[in-house]
Amino acid sequence: MTTDENILVLKGIAKRFGDKVALEHVDLQVRRGEVHVLCGENGAGKSTLMNILVGIHSPDGGQIILDGKGVTIADPLIASALGIGMVHQHFTLVPSMSVAENLFLGRHIRRYGIFSDRRAMNERARELIDNYKFALDPEARVSTLSVGQRQRVEILKALAFEAKLLILDEPTAVLTPPEVDELLKVIASLRERGRTVVFITHKLREVKAVSDRVTVLRQGRSISTHITTDVSEEDIARDMVGRDVFLTGREGQPERSFGGAVLELDNVTITNSAGRLILDSIDLEVRAGEVLGIAGVDGNGQTELAEAIAGLMPIQAGSIRLAGDDITADTVAERQAAGLGFVPEDRLDRGLSSDMSIAENMAATNYERYGVLRKGYVDRGRLNAFTEDGIKRFDIRGAKPKIPVGTLSGGNMQKVVLAREFARDPKVLLISQPTRGLDIGASEFVYSQVLSAADKGNGVLLISSELSEIFALSDRIAVIYSGRIMQVLERNEADEETVGILMNGGKRQVA
Amino acid sequence: MRSDFTDFLRAVRGPLGAIALTMALGFLLVASISDEPVLAYRELLFANFDSLSNFALFLNRATPLVLIAVGITFAFRAGVFNVGGEGQLFAGAIATTVFSIVFSGLPAIVLFPLAIAAGILGGALLGWIPGVLKVRLGVDEVVVTFMLNTIALLFTSYLVNQVIRDTTAYGAVSWMVPEKIWLPTIPGIPGATSGFIIAAVLSLASWVVLFRTKWGAEVRAAGTNLRYAEAVGIAAGGRVIWAMLIAGGFAGLAGALYVLGIGHRFEQNFSPEYGLVALTCALLARIHPAAALFTSLYYAMMLNGAAYMQISTEVPRSLVDLLTGLLVLLMTARFTLRRRSGQTSGAF
Repeated sequence: MTTDENILVLKGIAKRFGDKVALEHVDLQVRRGEVHVLCGENGAGKSTLMNILVGIHSPDGGQIILDGKGVTIADPLIASALGIGMVHQHFTLVPSMSVAENLFLGRHIRRYGIFSDRRAMNERARELIDNYKFALDPEARVSTLSVGQRQRVEILKALAFEAKLLILDEPTAVLTPPEVDELLKVIASLRERGRTVVFITHKLREVKAVSDRVTVLRQGRSISTHITTDVSEEDIARDMVGRDVFLTGREGQPERSFGGAVLELDNVTITNSAGRLILDSIDLEVRAGEVLGIAGVDGNGQTELAEAIAGLMPIQAGSIRLAGDDITADTVAERQAAGLGFVPEDRLDRGLSSDMSIAENMAATNYERYGVLRKGYVDRGRLNAFTEDGIKRFDIRGAKPKIPVGTLSGGNMQKVVLAREFARDPKVLLISQPTRGLDIGASEFVYSQVLSAADKGNGVLLISSELSEIFALSDRIAVIYSGRIMQVLERNEADEETVGILMNGGKRQVA
Repeated sequence: MRSDFTDFLRAVRGPLGAIALTMALGFLLVASISDEPVLAYRELLFANFDSLSNFALFLNRATPLVLIAVGITFAFRAGVFNVGGEGQLFAGAIATTVFSIVFSGLPAIVLFPLAIAAGILGGALLGWIPGVLKVRLGVDEVVVTFMLNTIALLFTSYLVNQVIRDTTAYGAVSWMVPEKIWLPTIPGIPGATSGFIIAAVLSLASWVVLFRTKWGAEVRAAGTNLRYAEAVGIAAGGRVIWAMLIAGGFAGLAGALYVLGIGHRFEQNFSPEYGLVALTCALLARIHPAAALFTSLYYAMMLNGAAYMQISTEVPRSLVDLLTGLLVLLMTARFTLRRRSGQTSGAF
């Protein structure tokens, strides 16, 4: 046992893939027993750096010092022998096997050297689970677990290897807000037990909530390392992006005035095939120039609400009016022609066809409006001009009209969806989870687009499970829980606590 | 424009490389079993062009392949894995034959278009069934199209043996269709059906429809991501059904043109599995209608060339089956290589 206070020191790590530089020069010092956050925008090199630590890539230059000794990590087996455990963003569990079987995958406890000793494995798994106070059943099949529970299995798997250093690669990207809170508690308890945790994220709230120190990466370089309590979220964001960022939205701005209702939902009700109420008589009204935010934990009817308004899901009762006209019976195309813009929650599911070109994705709802068609044929020149214009206005990086949209990064894909929907200047913009998976720079851009749509006098219905986003953008906040609108609050009378209670179904306490 | 051309070169580089490699490996094979490998290969590749009559047979062989393969590109682009080309071909051929025989009294100017239309509708009906089942009920189209092949083959066999059999002829063939509606041959190439010209024109027209119209973009949107297509306001289910009607219609037209231009009657075994070969042609063409014209010509050349090769040398014609297998193997191998290199570059 060394007494060195740093468990891991990286000096001048560099890595290039072909002629693309992924890491230019990274220095990192992780102290024993701390939670160290590594943050940076998408493409800053966080994942490459961690892949070097676990032996997936080997560095082109620099030094890795673990426990005071220089080491070469040639493959993942060496990494785990050295006590480095990693929980990947995408899980590596076998869904059809039990929790215990997954924990001991590849190193089953054997009886007589041949047979898997299921009982011993379950017992050992239960010890581990109890030891770390994870709420898990060792005999449950992984396929029956929630995403948050699966992640805990992944963490246990790394801990079962006696990992001294646990690396979590963007662990919250796949979690709902309550699950994030659970995870943060788990990390805090690991720190109490003296484990060292490196936590990769680009969400500033988590940085502040979880870490002792924070190192910021930008474009393959380590920019700064701070003690978390000494820096503000703004400072970290500036280091990440390289300039001042404004994710503050409308906070502090004067009262805004609105026009008449442009979207009205009256008693909108959806029941599923089993007869269960998915949406329970929803009444909502979005006025011209207003952003109405729908806050709620995922899975409380937000998806169905968006699909019902977009015309993708039939409603059993109620009516929907757009700019005064009843669109309840209209098709998707008719609603769009009437002035509805729709940014779906999952860009790869409903938002884009990743195999088709950027031009065709961007033009999909705009052929007639922008004169892309000439005598029924697609005029390639005009299609390209239309697309180039969108690429420029929305600053879509790495984009050319003809390349498949699936080759872009998540943020740039989202910009393609926005470019398509904004091109029609919709009277009502229905936008779901607009910044999911996006880094700060891209989120800032999306925010500004949403706000400018409202400033132009259009109505915006914003559905998001990120509370900070709801608060930054909304003029009014409606909270959805279990298919019902709990309450609609003016922005100035809403606070995170009130909305949080409503999101969990609690009635607002009258003081 | 120049970038269009480089795109084109990049697109054909892979398939052409695979074809060249296949032919090279095939040559090694032939050299190992034959004393005259050069002669065998000459027959395989060039005997089709030795005489006008060989060339005519080559075009006749290619015609149904082109039409079915182009039709299949519509289905595949709409996301329907249509393996029913054979059944749709038979449905078209029998519909044209029956209609022409039953209404043989009509004047040619009326009978000819109606006979063609009957063939198209016959094939389209067989395409419509799996299309509508898939869209409305989510029934797997591979199973349905495959089963319909058997149904069409057996039903036409019944008709040609029991109902419209030419009792004066040997074998299971129908009565001749009236000579007044036979398709003319291509001027200057005796024996070559002008159906080939129709097929070639339709292949280029299909390219325009699929890639230069809004309708084509909507079909491909439905095929690549149905949920996306719905969300941007495309009546995606309708597009899928229409694509299957077209796929079936093309195969049906292939049957109609075969009957009116080549066979002049329905013959029970007129097809050396055109439907299946055309499927390979369409896949080899990367599901592109214009490229399918060329892959179909290549296959027609190989199919007929194999026969000449077997006559002139002792090399069996089944070599072509082997080469086909090799070609498919090499095409897929290339895909995998590309995907793997894509992964490494996507790691950061």
